Amino acid sequence: MDVKQLLQTLTETPGPSGQESPIAQAVTTAWTPYVDLLMTDALGNLIGLKKGDGEAPRPRILLAAHMDEIALLVTQVLAYPDENGYGFLKVTKVGGVDTRQTLGQQVLVHGQRELPGVIGCLPPHLLPENRRSKPIGFEDMVVDVGLPYVELKQLVGVGDFVSFRQPLRELHNGRVAGKSLDNRASVAAVTVCLDWLRGRKHSWDVIAVATTQEEIGLRGAFVAAGGQQPDLAIALDVTWAKGPLAQDGGLTFELGEGPTLGYGPNIHPGIYKGLQEAAAAIELKVTPEGQPTLSGTDAAALQIARAGIPTGLICIPQRYMHTMVETMALNDIERTGRLLAEFIARLDGDFLNQLNKSLMDG
Amino acid sequence: MIDLIRKLVELYGPSGFEDQVRAFIQAEIAPYADEMRVDALGNLIALKKGDGTGKRVLVSAHTDEIGVMITHVTEKGFLRFTNIGGVFAANLLGGRVQFADGRQGVIYGDKFEDRSKLHPLNKYYIDVGATSKEDCPVRVGDAAGFYRPLLVMGDRLAAKSMDDRIGCVVGIEALKRLTASPHDVYFVFSVQEEVGLRGAAAAANGLHPDVSIALDVTGSGDTPECHPMAISLGQGTAIKVKDGGMIAHAGLVRLMRQRAEAANIPHQMEVLEGGTTDAYAMQVAGPGSISGCISIPCRYIHSASEMVDINDVEACIRLLGEILTHPIDL
Repeated sequence: MDVKQLLQTLTETPGPSGQESPIAQAVTTAWTPYVDLLMTDALGNLIGLKKGDGEAPRPRILLAAHMDEIALLVTQVLAYPDENGYGFLKVTKVGGVDTRQTLGQQVLVHGQRELPGVIGCLPPHLLPENRRSKPIGFEDMVVDVGLPYVELKQLVGVGDFVSFRQPLRELHNGRVAGKSLDNRASVAAVTVCLDWLRGRKHSWDVIAVATTQEEIGLRGAFVAAGGQQPDLAIALDVTWAKGPLAQDGGLTFELGEGPTLGYGPNIHPGIYKGLQEAAAAIELKVTPEGQPTLSGTDAAALQIARAGIPTGLICIPQRYMHTMVETMALNDIERTGRLLAEFIARLDGDFLNQLNKSLMDG
Repeated sequence: MIDLIRKLVELYGPSGFEDQVRAFIQAEIAPYADEMRVDALGNLIALKKGDGTGKRVLVSAHTDEIGVMITHVTEKGFLRFTNIGGVFAANLLGGRVQFADGRQGVIYGDKFEDRSKLHPLNKYYIDVGATSKEDCPVRVGDAAGFYRPLLVMGDRLAAKSMDDRIGCVVGIEALKRLTASPHDVYFVFSVQEEVGLRGAAAAANGLHPDVSIALDVTGSGDTPECHPMAISLGQGTAIKVKDGGMIAHAGLVRLMRQRAEAANIPHQMEVLEGGTTDAYAMQVAGPGSISGCISIPCRYIHSASEMVDINDVEACIRLLGEILTHPIDL
């Protein structure tokens, strides 16, 4: 599998939280060769079932990688200088958009048809002196698609989504930079896992879910777990990578040195241990990542869905998170998929019993 | 309809104390519902049966209103209080509250050192005319709602608890006008919305709807120097795309828009930047549901003079009717 090619497709396809259908289509194409069944639910989660070869009823493991991305939403259509002039859009955030880096981006406006546009503001020369070094807020930005107001108003309305545009760039040493690698990189890792599982026996059913609405509060994963009723769940997401600007040992992790395994109250210790054992079996380097409170990933929702689901968390290091140049190492993504496949292949009929017992024994 | 609105907005019903509102609605809709029950949280659930070809649809309007709860009675018989839901200090001074038994009181605050600054809530008190702790008829734990009679100004109506009795009116009128539907429609008059959407979450978990629609107020951007928002009173029903908590199901938003256009119902698209509704909870209850919200544009939300336009209310009722009488294929 060409992971870079897959990432290019996944990151360049729009999929704002709440409007994930284009990215769901791309993931459908990527997963169809590997799964027995694909379906969606009320929140648009894309759910792929790969049946195990154990005896039915088989235990089920749910893999959650969110496919939605941070984006913008139209709040107003403005006319300048009047309705006979040009049209501009005011926007608000969908998810944790970093206002500091929104200015100057290229976007795609999802109106009656898709319109390429840019995000502009006043140049420093025209700003008062005391505002030149400060970040520009949404109140001072407009989206410009170059259309006259009358035409723009026909095509775009309040509530239309605006997604960021950015091609995936290949850097040296197997690194890539682009938008939405949070968390399309994890969607790619799940795809790698499904590819590995073609050549492995696994007794459990695997429910691969490209979840929706993670960026606005883990909403897709919560519903996916409610509908799919898995016996255990693993969330995949990105974490902060080290670099010259980020050297904190507790919070950041080396790029290109493999995924991190979350541990802490949000994660079932038995799953953490199982992932470590799987990594050791294939001599794959992993780094523990302490999650002293809720992880802020789909794992937080999965753990308390239904009557509670034993949940694990694998994260892939990333630099410059929530920008248009999120940077990652391809081999981290490949290794994450490989590790996940190994963990799944090792699951047997007794795993759940052992899991429950591990908590009882402390 | 004005008469129904007047009765509903003037009723007492802070979150957790919705009995009087529920009893009123129960009597009002009894002739129109096929089945009615009250669940463990106090939600009133009325079923209007479909012809068996449609979906399970949950329509929710919340009966509760913001209010206060007494925390302390002073030696001289003044009442200190805490908030029930989103109470803003700026709306308090000189206002009046009513208790469950109809007793009223006035709100005032401790001395202002700086009149340009608001007190925190714990420096306000309620005076019910008592002269001492002993003769004060109100106890710690008693809840009060704000009191303000309905004001009718042509098409514009102002009252306390338009949020969300006006949503209840939309639900009640839609039920009354609903003669036949493909869908099993569960009209839920929910409780405890203002303290965390608690009634609707329980109702949706119990009912497992395919589709859930909240009826609630939204803000407007048509008053002096307000936060910009492309919603104006009198411009029609507001179809929610996004609010502070949730993004409505894109297909349901499209359907609402198409139904409004086809039936010539004035409508506006809503992007609300803060606050949310029962739809937030219903969307993720159980295995999830296709969720959206029909909003009534409203000025001065969470004050004692929340203002709506009667034409917008009518547009909301009509849009809900159009949705409930047609297939919902999403």
